[in-house]
Amino acid sequence: MLKDITLGQYFPGSSVIHRLDPRTKILLVLCYIVLTFLIENFIGYLLLAAFTVGCILVSKVPPKFVLKGLKPILVFVVITGLFNLFLTRGDVVFSWWIFSITRQGIYFAAFMVLRLVFLMVGTSLLTLTTSPIALTDGMERLLRPLRKVGVPAHELAMMMSIALRFIPILMEETDKIMKAQSARGADFESGNILRRAKAMVPILVPLFISAFRRADELATAMECRCYRGGENRTRFKELLYGKKDLGAGISFLALVALVFAANFLFGKVI
Amino acid sequence: MIKLEDVSYVYMQGGPFEKTALDHISLEIHKGEFIGLIGHTGSGKSTLIQMLNGLLKPTSGTITVNGKVLGEKSTNLQQLRFEVGLVMQYPEYQLFEETVAKDIAYGPSNMGLPKEEIAERVAYVANMVGLSPELLEKSPFDLSGGQKRRVAIAGVLAMEPKVLILDEPTAGLDPAGRDEILCKIKDMHERMDMTVILVSHSMEDVAKLADRILVMNHGKVEMLDKTAAVFRQGKRLTEIGLNIPQITQVMDGLRENGVNLGEGIYTVEDAYRQLCDLMNLKEQPIC
Ligand SMILES: Nc1ncnc2c1ncn2[C@@H]1O[C@H](COP(=O)(O)OP(=O)(O)OP(=O)(O)O)[C@@H](O)[C@H]1O
Ligand SMILES: [Mg+2]
Repeated sequence: MLKDITLGQYFPGSSVIHRLDPRTKILLVLCYIVLTFLIENFIGYLLLAAFTVGCILVSKVPPKFVLKGLKPILVFVVITGLFNLFLTRGDVVFSWWIFSITRQGIYFAAFMVLRLVFLMVGTSLLTLTTSPIALTDGMERLLRPLRKVGVPAHELAMMMSIALRFIPILMEETDKIMKAQSARGADFESGNILRRAKAMVPILVPLFISAFRRADELATAMECRCYRGGENRTRFKELLYGKKDLGAGISFLALVALVFAANFLFGKVI
Repeated sequence: MIKLEDVSYVYMQGGPFEKTALDHISLEIHKGEFIGLIGHTGSGKSTLIQMLNGLLKPTSGTITVNGKVLGEKSTNLQQLRFEVGLVMQYPEYQLFEETVAKDIAYGPSNMGLPKEEIAERVAYVANMVGLSPELLEKSPFDLSGGQKRRVAIAGVLAMEPKVLILDEPTAGLDPAGRDEILCKIKDMHERMDMTVILVSHSMEDVAKLADRILVMNHGKVEMLDKTAAVFRQGKRLTEIGLNIPQITQVMDGLRENGVNLGEGIYTVEDAYRQLCDLMNLKEQPIC
């Protein structure tokens, strides 16, 4: 039933990319996203593609999993592409009935689609190679300077990691309850909307009860271990930048330099 | 009655956490049998029994229940689940209705039975699992853990399935309650010629109740044989993290020390009888 949904999106591994400091990865992905919007011609995208493919190969995550991240935005990408294709004004190259395609439209559409795809692949690669815990750890550290202006960095990160941890638990729970009710002859598939909504009651009631119970138990367990928020809290795993992170930064800077060189040499396409 | 041919099951196939829970299993269970299913934690017992009523579809292989092949279009899964009643492991979480009586009635009313018959069945099974009538109008969430367990078991018994599968139904119950429920199930099995599959970690319970024992080990069938034949292989059972009943160990120990006792004693009752014979005592009924 729900068995196909994997834990978060994380694909465990031990490649260099997996072992990078999460802060490095988060920052680089942010820069990467900005970079996709600064590229002005196709040579630039070729460079970006080469870099991205290289990263995927190094990370040893099967490309299938990276591409799976594209699925949810596929419709969005297609629609954006079509809008850009048909609604951009400029030099008409092809027209039929009320539709006309312009040269600029083709370029805009291509750029938009490329940007979205790279954006998605980049962030997928981040979540595929970084465990949710490491990710929230990294965010907490990056947000730490903002504590001075009153941003509760630790609490936000804690809330996020608990929420992330609860997703697979609740999935499992839903699966278990659905099975137990199906075993008693529950039927979730047939009937009109009203009947189907009613059929959900035997799942939702136990699910809510168990979610509240779990939250309660977790709170008690945390209190029993004297949890009291982020102040003066030391950590088991300190995040440290290493040579790998320097290497990653330099490779990315090289990419940026190449992209700007391409922008300069080959000019703007549109 | 139930036939598995070369059945495998893989959790999260193709993913990074792929796990083979059942590995090419073939077996046959006949009508009216009482099967004890034992195996170490994670050996695939729960996975196996969830396939028998179509909750899990085999990754490969075919399952036939009552002549119907699972997974074929012509097989109505809902109908199958009324015939193959399954009490899941820790079934307390399945309770959701306002009152205990309504919750027990959920299965039978899904079957479309008339109201009077449902009420009759509810009263009957509630009595059977030891729920007193005044509990029937309480909310299931106000009950103790053991009472909730009984309600959950009653909810499946009320469907009067032809095959009853119980996944560790007595884990966490007190000894008296455990014996009571198991006794009633044995009773129902004999009276209605019901096929029963009982998953348990208690060798004593299995020895006392089962006709045949199915031993699972790392997703494979290790043994499927008469109770005596299985418990004769004590060494192998210990190797795979199981054991023989304690009373058998005691009797074997006595025999090794020269006491004149027969082999193959698996229940306290048998042991008592043999010891009485040995000491020329008159047998007095225990329990
Ligand atoms: N929903 C699931 N997702 C992934 N793996 C699972 C899932 N359920 C069970 N497994 C794995 O399948 C194997 C068999 O599990 P199963 O629940 O059938 O064991 P079991 O014999 O019932 O154990 P126990 O005696 O503890 O109840 C285990 O190794 C377990 O880790
Ligand atoms: Mg189990």
